[in-house]
Amino acid sequence: MAEMWINMGPQHPMTHGLWNLRIKVDGETIVDAEPEVGYLHRGIEKICENRTYTQIIPISDRLCYGSSMTWSHLYCLTVEDLMGIEVPERAEYIRVAVLEMQRIASHLMWLAAYAADLGAMIGFIYTMRDREIWIDLLQSLTGSRITYNFPRIGGVAHDLPANWDRDALRACDYMDKKLKEYEDIFDGSKVFMMRNEGVGILKKEDALNLGVTGPPLRASGVKYDLRKDQPYSVYPELEFQPCYHTDCDCYARFKVRMDEMAMSCHIIRQAINNMPKGKWRVVSPRNAPVGTGLGRVEDPRGEGMMYVVGDGTDRPYRLKIRSPIFVTVSAAPKMLIGYKVADVVAIMGGLDMCIGETDR
Amino acid sequence: MDVVTKDFFNWATRNSIYPLHFGIMCCALEMAVASAPRFDAQRFGVIYRSTPRQCDVLLVNGPVSKKMKPALRRLYDQMPGPKWVIAMGECAISGGPFYNSYSVVPGVDQFIPVDIYIPGCPARPEALIDAFIKLQKIIKENKKGLLTGK
Amino acid sequence: MVGRQKRVLKGEIEEPPTRIDGQPEELVIRTLLDMFPSTLTDFKKVRDGLLRAKIERRDLFKACKSLRDNLGFEHLSMISAVEYDSRFEIVYHITSYEKRLLLELITTTPKDDPSVESISAIWGGANWQEREAFDLMGIKFNNHPNLQRILLPSDYLYHPLRKDFTGGG
Repeated sequence: MAEMWINMGPQHPMTHGLWNLRIKVDGETIVDAEPEVGYLHRGIEKICENRTYTQIIPISDRLCYGSSMTWSHLYCLTVEDLMGIEVPERAEYIRVAVLEMQRIASHLMWLAAYAADLGAMIGFIYTMRDREIWIDLLQSLTGSRITYNFPRIGGVAHDLPANWDRDALRACDYMDKKLKEYEDIFDGSKVFMMRNEGVGILKKEDALNLGVTGPPLRASGVKYDLRKDQPYSVYPELEFQPCYHTDCDCYARFKVRMDEMAMSCHIIRQAINNMPKGKWRVVSPRNAPVGTGLGRVEDPRGEGMMYVVGDGTDRPYRLKIRSPIFVTVSAAPKMLIGYKVADVVAIMGGLDMCIGETDR
Repeated sequence: MDVVTKDFFNWATRNSIYPLHFGIMCCALEMAVASAPRFDAQRFGVIYRSTPRQCDVLLVNGPVSKKMKPALRRLYDQMPGPKWVIAMGECAISGGPFYNSYSVVPGVDQFIPVDIYIPGCPARPEALIDAFIKLQKIIKENKKGLLTGK
Repeated sequence: MVGRQKRVLKGEIEEPPTRIDGQPEELVIRTLLDMFPSTLTDFKKVRDGLLRAKIERRDLFKACKSLRDNLGFEHLSMISAVEYDSRFEIVYHITSYEKRLLLELITTTPKDDPSVESISAIWGGANWQEREAFDLMGIKFNNHPNLQRILLPSDYLYHPLRKDFTGGG
């Protein structure tokens, strides 16, 4: 049979974001694969060297727009490590509550696109409707729907509005009911199960060596969650468990994300019920000291890190961003070889790609 | 012949605007939400098609990098006329927050003619639906016969 | 570092039971210092779970191999390239899942010869990160399987993150 290279992208209904997947097919079976990224490169690391520390917060939002609160929070953590600032406790609890809401909204957005790609349009309609509830909560707090510009160096931008915690607890109860409904829809759909079970296997040793992090790593059996094992913010005081499965296929990645949504509701309830009173921001100095700062969070897509080098002025000397999807996509050929062209959608969709953070 | 069919074809065109299934950055999320249950662009006849050969409208919703520029120009050329271009969000209008980056083209109208600009960062889904309604008005006013082009 | 305060968690927080305080870090420090007595310098425990060390570039590959094989550092998190006035610094962040440790390993190269041994044979996750450091900063990685540009077009002439490139930002 003749082998040939096929380009899927940059404009392709499967590719959420701009990237190109070149696959070498022998008939219908994939023999080799080569992802190609860089179509959305905006030079953010160079831009950040000419902006003050506070001016970078809206830019860091636009790194991954699917979960933008995580990235601006990561940036603020990194700069707080560089400057040596201690954040007040109320600000930490607000940050955790908002981060977990962002995690739920990000996973719902992923599920909408994933279900739409696999042909289950009902998944798209239901999850988009439920995502609006979380987006409304975040909009009433920050004023924007997807790029919030809410964390600040030293805390958060402002305090919670009236009745926000009551609405958030109601949303958590609603979400718990809806998660049961999603289980019925997806687990009861024979086509969905057939397209996901046994597809895109990534073994544990490969996942560890290739640098895969986040839900694909936990779906390969590694019980590691940065919020539990190297915690930051107030996560040591909250009670939750990392969600993991041992099946290593697309269905395991799907289950891990569904479990994470339920766990996030649990964390939001604890954060809101235990929130102390007090200040929500401390003033941060304008100039950073000479030195380096490191921040590390559990993004909905994996392990995000930032490394900042300060030189005594009010602009960073160097800001390096580690994107989880950049490394996970480089592991994609391992997951694709041996499967059919029609499985590409399920496998690449299961990685939850957000090209904004890949290309920076 | 055009005298008879011009109004009818124009009505059909403006009530079935087919944009291209093309998402670049954050405004693409709002484009996806605009076809979700809450904002529902489908009631205006807007259905997203996957191939440029079947589309009327190219919706550019993010910054265009220099690597992407030839591919985007090819997509625009592949669309059959009559076609329109909507620049959604600050990044497509002028480069947005990345205007002075070394790898971003400052505005999509540098190489593609644009009909409607939607401001916002990100542009709200209601603004996108407003843009579709404005596009319908533009199509209604510039009545051209499809058969003879007059 | 100037003005650095230790982050204090409020309340009585117990350490997770599987980790005895101080021991994983000391084991790593002692093993590495035994293997590389002259080329490993500036060893410091920054805080619980974060170690920092400097190593010369000729021993980098051996150190990374022993980190993965003997000390249980399974995951390479990040490779950053920083340009200073007189040198390039390449910072490797390597994680150990079983010990819950992050090691920050810093290598220095002279300005006129920014090249270092590639570690993508040890950790496959280093492959694309090294390509990105080559693309944006111009660091050459010897024995890399496919050292090509990844984010910029392949016919681009410059390395944008260098300080003498003033074309944008």
